[in-house]
Amino acid sequence: MMPRANAFRVYSALLLTITWCVALLLGVDGQLPAWSSVLLLGALFAFAENASVELPNRSGLSASLMLALAAIVVFHSESPYLGPLLVGAFGCLYIPHLQRREWAKIAFNLANFALSTLAAALVFTLLPFGQQDSTALEVLAAVPTALTYSTTNTVLLAAAVRILTARPIRVIAREMWLGDLQILPFAVLGVVLGQMYLDLDAWLVPLFVAPILIARAAFASYLALREAQEATLSTLIRALEAKDRYTAGHVERVARFAELVGTEFGFRPRRLQRLRYAALMHDIGKLVVPNQILNKPGRLTASEYAEIRKHEVASVELLSRIDFLAPVAPSVQPEAAGSIDGPLEARIILVADAFDAMTSTRAYRKALTQEVAFEELRAKAGTQFDPACVEALIRVVERRGERYGAGHETEVADYAVPPPAGGTGSAGLGDLEAEQEVSK
Amino acid sequence: MTRWVQLLALAVLGALGALTAELAGASNAAVLIVLSTALVLGEQFQLRPTGRAALPLSFAVVVVLIRAADPWQFVVVVIVAYAVAVPPRTGGRGLLAMTALYAERLVEALGAAALYTIALDTTADPASEEVVLGALAAAAVVQIVVADLVTYVQHHSIAPLRARGADLALVTSAMLMAVGYGGIAGAGELGLWGPLLFSIPLLAAWYSFELLRSTRRNFWQTIEALGAAPELAGLVRPGHATRVAALAVEMGLELGLTNTEIEQLEMAANLHHLGAVCLDAPTPSQPLDPVAVAEAGSAMLRDSEVLAAAGDIVAAEPLLHRAPESRGQHAAAFAGQILKLASAFDELTEGNDEHAVWALEAIYTGPLYVYDGRVVAALERVLERRGVLPARV
Repeated sequence: MMPRANAFRVYSALLLTITWCVALLLGVDGQLPAWSSVLLLGALFAFAENASVELPNRSGLSASLMLALAAIVVFHSESPYLGPLLVGAFGCLYIPHLQRREWAKIAFNLANFALSTLAAALVFTLLPFGQQDSTALEVLAAVPTALTYSTTNTVLLAAAVRILTARPIRVIAREMWLGDLQILPFAVLGVVLGQMYLDLDAWLVPLFVAPILIARAAFASYLALREAQEATLSTLIRALEAKDRYTAGHVERVARFAELVGTEFGFRPRRLQRLRYAALMHDIGKLVVPNQILNKPGRLTASEYAEIRKHEVASVELLSRIDFLAPVAPSVQPEAAGSIDGPLEARIILVADAFDAMTSTRAYRKALTQEVAFEELRAKAGTQFDPACVEALIRVVERRGERYGAGHETEVADYAVPPPAGGTGSAGLGDLEAEQEVSK
Repeated sequence: MTRWVQLLALAVLGALGALTAELAGASNAAVLIVLSTALVLGEQFQLRPTGRAALPLSFAVVVVLIRAADPWQFVVVVIVAYAVAVPPRTGGRGLLAMTALYAERLVEALGAAALYTIALDTTADPASEEVVLGALAAAAVVQIVVADLVTYVQHHSIAPLRARGADLALVTSAMLMAVGYGGIAGAGELGLWGPLLFSIPLLAAWYSFELLRSTRRNFWQTIEALGAAPELAGLVRPGHATRVAALAVEMGLELGLTNTEIEQLEMAANLHHLGAVCLDAPTPSQPLDPVAVAEAGSAMLRDSEVLAAAGDIVAAEPLLHRAPESRGQHAAAFAGQILKLASAFDELTEGNDEHAVWALEAIYTGPLYVYDGRVVAALERVLERRGVLPARV
């Protein structure tokens, strides 16, 4: 079988050949565009590709679609196909590829952007309202034209990713196409830019590009800061795990369970993110508990248990200092979070925390089975836990076919003294019997 | 009613008013109603980049309005629209603040219109591209200049050039929106579609700045919350990390550190005792081993690419001062010296400025290899500026 890299080279060469043939035919046909406009718009197209921002889902956000639409309008009367095709070809000038001399990728990008722009130009020309002189009609034409550009780009790119990674093409295409839809408003703007370019002059271009570049720079800073925020949370997790070696992976699992429940409840991305951050930070107060108590094998004395409980107050105190987490700060205090009137996030985290506490081996007892943990959650639903959150967690875990608890633990600490097998008590369970026993 | 619902209701009212005027055959009135509504809404949305006072999007609408209205219409619209737009901006700050902002906005708008008119009236070819663009740019810039002057009078600070990206976005968008509205020399006229469409890049910039602002706040609050953990554990005096961070930043600025270096220093200052909570031994009655604390803290921070530089500073903090060429990591070692002195000063003063002179004397009596002389001099200058030490003649 042909190696993936070679298959990609063949694919790129094929697309490039098609592009050259089409360009040649159009050139012979006499459709020569104004070279100054090709160079200006092409340079901006290349710049837009180089200034694209990588989103957290790994897709890119660039203004090249807008410039493709602008080129289609600018060359509409004198060179409706060759002009846009040539502008699109500038998309191959992506500096990292040039520096690494990745010729196959350069060839692929040249063909991909050129053919996508050509396909969009074809649709724009064929559409009845794309042939009028009215700006309003051209703006309307922008939508199907942009969708054609985006679809062609997605199909060609998805095939390339399929060749290189063997991922299902439908999944890849859906991710990419949805990403492109986010910038449809800029397609409309591209048409207006093209029309203004024709009506006025090239001086318009820098005025137009400046705010977009500023927005791009601010957005890139935002993404970098989001990454820094994630890194800070990772530092917190490392600090917690360095202190409490018996709860390795706990906060990340709680965050994951909370996210699953939040998704089950239909949370929007921003709310889901807040829920995740709150879950990751729900144990931050443990930083104030002495290590020797956190890591004590076996049962705790009453005073030690009181020390442990201090972490809940400290967690609330610390989370309250962060504006966007302050509303869910009670999630780390079982008494407050158990209230049906409390924030939903708080109730979700309480259930997720309790479930993970029961299904993990702790210094004071071994992990329970998943079935026992579910029974325990249901038994306390309505008093200690929100029944809707309990059922949502159970539903989502069962639907996903995941198994937790005794016999299914992925991370188990190396205990100096083996934990006892019985009891359901845990720092995450609040007032269960075993804790009462401990505090006697 | 939430803020968004109020704004939406205002937009709908404006649209209905404009539609009614249009149906009644008063097209110019419809345009003025739309632009008045846009001005009121624009005042509620501001570009708020880091290191710069907020810039309202209404500045861009004013530039469009200059072209759309005759002088008297302009004056009336600006007086009425800002009277509606300003109160929600100053809610809770009292009548004086509201009046001051209202007066400022009127001066900015009238100044912009006056400058635009003068620019067109004093040139031979007022319809040429150069003149129209220059006049529009002047109208946008003068509003920013007046706003900057007011900020300077109030806070004695002026935003540096590097924080002026938002200014550029606002000026260029305002010019495009105004050109889109009326065109130039009979070409490119889009009517209200012009400002509407060309506001998209400006709105994209506004959205990006808002995302950046809220994420920045969350990030620093998370850092500060983490930094406060050793204090809640009783291992460090309350408020130590925050005070040290503030002092270290001032010293860093005094010593000419770059923006990035200042941010890393601030992170390190907030987190320099984080390692204490991970050590097995420390209790409130036992002193912390500074090297062990720094090692534990820096190990955690260095695990992350983003925080690694702050980790290097934390690791360098307990080290003695050496000649710069004897170190591998110059930047981190120097920042570590700043952090060490800021932290020592705070421990000596216990957060009380009255102990500053004594603390500084104690620092001077130590061996020369303990603190970097340049850093000590910077601390002294910062304390003088704060009014904690008497200024030298």
